[in-house]
Amino acid sequence: MVAALPKNLDEDGFYGIRLESIGGLGAHLAGQILAEAGVLRLGLNGSHFSSYGSEKKGTPVKSFIRFCRPDQTVRTNSPVERPHVVAVFHEALIGREKVAVGLRPDGIIIVNSVASPGEMKERLGLPGGTVGVVDALGIAVAENSRPNMAMLGAVTRAADFIDPEAVKASIRETFGRHYPQMLEGNMQAFQRGYDELRLETFPVKGEWADAVARPQPAYGYLNAPWGGMVTNPGNSATKDLSASRQGFLPALDLEKCVHCGLCDIVCPDYCFVWETYTKDDGKVAARLVGIDYRYCKGCLKCVEACPTDALVEMRETEGYAEAHSVALFPNPEQDK
Amino acid sequence: MAQLVGEEKAKLAQKVDFRTGNEMAARAAKQINFHLMGYYPITPSTEVAEFLDEMRAEGEHEIRMIPADGEHGAAGICYGATSGGGRVFNCTASQGFLYSLEQLPVQAGSRFPMLLQLVNRSVSGPLDIRCDHSDLYFALTTGWIILLAREPQAVYDMNIVAVRIGEHPKVRLPVIVAYDGFFTSHQKRRVQYFENDEAVTDFVGRPPEFPHTLDPRQPVTVGAYMNDPDLINNKYQLKLAMDAAREVIPQILEEYGRISGRSYSFLDLYKMDDAEAAVLLINSAAETAKDVADRLREQGQRVGVVSLNVLRPFPAEELRQALRGVKALTIGERADAYGAQGGPLSHEVKAAIQEDPKNRTLCLTRVYGLGGKDFYAEDAEEFFNLALKAAETGQVDTRFDYHGVTPGDPDKPPMQVLPPLTKEEVSPGLVQVSRNEETGELKVKPIARWQLPVQAKRIAAGHGACPGCGILPALNLFFRGIEGDVVIVNQTGCAEIVTSGYPFSNHRVTYIHNLFQNGAATLAGLVEMFQERQRRGDLPADEDVTFVMISGDGGMDIGIGAALGAAIRNHKMIILEYDNQGYMNTGSQLSYSTPLGHMTTTSHVGPAQAGKAFHHRDTPQILASCHIPYVFTGTEAFPDDLVKKAAKAQWYAKNEGLVYGKVLIACPLNWRSEDRLGAKILETAVNCRFFPLYEVEQGITKLTYDPDRTRHHVDVPDWLGLMGKTRHLLQPQYAPQLEALEAEIERRWQRLKAMHDHPQL
Repeated sequence: MVAALPKNLDEDGFYGIRLESIGGLGAHLAGQILAEAGVLRLGLNGSHFSSYGSEKKGTPVKSFIRFCRPDQTVRTNSPVERPHVVAVFHEALIGREKVAVGLRPDGIIIVNSVASPGEMKERLGLPGGTVGVVDALGIAVAENSRPNMAMLGAVTRAADFIDPEAVKASIRETFGRHYPQMLEGNMQAFQRGYDELRLETFPVKGEWADAVARPQPAYGYLNAPWGGMVTNPGNSATKDLSASRQGFLPALDLEKCVHCGLCDIVCPDYCFVWETYTKDDGKVAARLVGIDYRYCKGCLKCVEACPTDALVEMRETEGYAEAHSVALFPNPEQDK
Repeated sequence: MAQLVGEEKAKLAQKVDFRTGNEMAARAAKQINFHLMGYYPITPSTEVAEFLDEMRAEGEHEIRMIPADGEHGAAGICYGATSGGGRVFNCTASQGFLYSLEQLPVQAGSRFPMLLQLVNRSVSGPLDIRCDHSDLYFALTTGWIILLAREPQAVYDMNIVAVRIGEHPKVRLPVIVAYDGFFTSHQKRRVQYFENDEAVTDFVGRPPEFPHTLDPRQPVTVGAYMNDPDLINNKYQLKLAMDAAREVIPQILEEYGRISGRSYSFLDLYKMDDAEAAVLLINSAAETAKDVADRLREQGQRVGVVSLNVLRPFPAEELRQALRGVKALTIGERADAYGAQGGPLSHEVKAAIQEDPKNRTLCLTRVYGLGGKDFYAEDAEEFFNLALKAAETGQVDTRFDYHGVTPGDPDKPPMQVLPPLTKEEVSPGLVQVSRNEETGELKVKPIARWQLPVQAKRIAAGHGACPGCGILPALNLFFRGIEGDVVIVNQTGCAEIVTSGYPFSNHRVTYIHNLFQNGAATLAGLVEMFQERQRRGDLPADEDVTFVMISGDGGMDIGIGAALGAAIRNHKMIILEYDNQGYMNTGSQLSYSTPLGHMTTTSHVGPAQAGKAFHHRDTPQILASCHIPYVFTGTEAFPDDLVKKAAKAQWYAKNEGLVYGKVLIACPLNWRSEDRLGAKILETAVNCRFFPLYEVEQGITKLTYDPDRTRHHVDVPDWLGLMGKTRHLLQPQYAPQLEALEAEIERRWQRLKAMHDHPQL
């Protein structure tokens, strides 16, 4: 039996899903499982791929799924620009990436969050439409799984022509053979994501943003220095990598700090801020003044290295990093 | 008889699946059951070897897989193997293809068939890992047959027919199957393949008996040098083989169509019967154009799409027939032949139709989609519109142009974000090295850890490395021991990728990237230029720069030749290797630094394979035997030791010559370890004697830390238990691998201790 696709397919006959995530959260795998279920178990045709660059763990990644009638040929290779469903696996991407761009007015956006759908609608800046939230991180922790399985459950419910039993069968096949110990937790997380998705539809007030976003070059052929040369090195200082953190960060208590420098030795992200001074004996020395959380990816190596309790692991809460950040480069010229 | 038909039908049964192009290439290779594969990791082709290694570990095939020292080596392994008469497979892309290029005409000229996957990717520089056809165009004059695959299904099919075509007695040529990186290599599509390997093995048959190099009773000489007047005849034979291929290919495609139900011919023609305007594209973009052709047809436009399934031999006659009624054709090229006003595809198509006196097709060329730039339906539509307009007006305004470039605002050049580092910021005077003139020994004044942050970091924050990456702390700590100006060369690897993604650069000092194997040579050239320009007075005589080449352990596989060359010439520079025991930038394939038994994506663990099969290379000893002034090892877990060695390295690089240092670093992602445990794992690696901290200074070896003396010695399993990539070694069934690794660690340690005790060693 072939699953019945909804009537509102796009002009090319596709139902499109876009997963917005960071490397390491398993969005690619979730997309693959969903697409496999649709194509191999529900008789649809479709395709799946993710955005590939030299992205490492923690950097933004998108995964794209298309479904169409079984007799339609899939030919397009370009990203899903007008998705029926957007699933944001990582809440911190909101405001940093255009996660909702191109979403159809009759589409659904789902966010891994403990916020309410109403709060999320505001944060996303949507004029209305259907917004879903699910605490995928909480479910993952409780079920000893990963957020991707709970998100997969939520997406499956949003794409309601997909039979959840088919997705479960694909999960079983994916994990059953090589990772049987992970199967039960993943199945539980999937089910809970499916059940605990909170959807709410808001009337559209104002204009629905119709634009799509395609990657734009930094410079064109008239203003890019020849040879690919970067003439303003160090411009990486303008980046904000906070979205790379997966819920944890080091909290610094300067009262307990002995300024030993061990955190700075092990830190991969160069986010500790020091000031130089001259000691009483005339020796030049450095003391720690804070952390620039814009660059911290939350590996917590510094917490391991800290000989006192000056650095401790903390579950990141909304606004903490911004409130406690000390600027490493106080006045970088904005490269606009 | 009826039963036979039933059996035959069962044998040819096909499974519907959802697979990528790379998965289908691996599936085909497994079913063909090649004798041997020589390969080297390069994105986006690496997965083919990974999938095959995984299947091998599961016991699903017996292809002998040889991880080469570089693509040049991989091509050499394949050449040698094919001369021995068996079936051989390789996969590569982009720069890797170019690095093996000199071997390709040798393969074809020697008439040894084999199969190479070329997963199309842009060629450097600048380095771009995504798709275009700039690599493919280098293949056109190599004498290889080239088959093209627009989608994952075709990847599978073309691989199977390729074996038959290349091995046909009238042909005997190597074959490339080329498909688009990422678009086809990494996209899952609905596909079909034969459920029973037998269907494939029956179709390809046994390898034919050509003269080979493994029959001592019939010795042959392969590769006799051949000048004029003989060579032209050898090449004419190759030309005749291509002519024969033209005859053979349709027969084999037809035969394959009978068993698979999928028929291919030289050209893939879509709605071309009555087309007046057409677009010609190869590989994935052609599929996008078909969707657009459908739409334009609905609007009454007579348009069609031409694509090629076979690029060599070039289907000139088929193109003449296909284009006879076409008034205008837009040829899209995913690479340029700079200065030629069109890529080779354009010129070959034009040359083909020029031979048809009746042909009046107007041709336009547009270069598009370089470096993986997406080809959207709108792009295809513009190509059609160009052709339609030309068809209508009978004129072409611009025959050759680029499609999809951005001018940018000339009034907005890149602006400085951080000021360049000042001399004072990088020279706080903490590093003090003196030489005892009597003993010749260097003395480094200790720097307290709380003083280290006084020196400004030469690498700015804001890089793209994974959480917990060990590269950045290692580099920072090393540079803490170096004062003054520094110029860095980085050969391809994670350190390069995560610190220099255009338009960003984290490097606040001058930085150059060059390709994977060539960093040491590049820096050698720069050091010599610095000295020469100083000598000529172009540069101030008091300018004092320390030159550092940074490489991963993979770079020291493929780049060992350049490193040894630089070492033997003894340039005044430092080679700093960060060793995370694998090709982490391409997704954790084994490198020669991966220890025995460790699991990587090309040394899987399974019923038929127990991780990496051979021991890790001892690079410090290799470099020490070049008799350079200073060799050291270090790690972030022993920071004072590393800073001190960096200070010595700078002194030797300024005063004596080449320095080599290896720094062991953690890769939590691919070691499958906790992000936060990097330093602890490194410390354990040192304390179990796997990674001894030592230096070879002026030829004299000294352990700088001895876990036996500090009583910190731990057992090898204590280290292996901290990483997911090695935890299997603690299970009883892997005892032989564990014992062998422990024995090798012990043997190397004892040897080092003896060297430490005896300055003459």
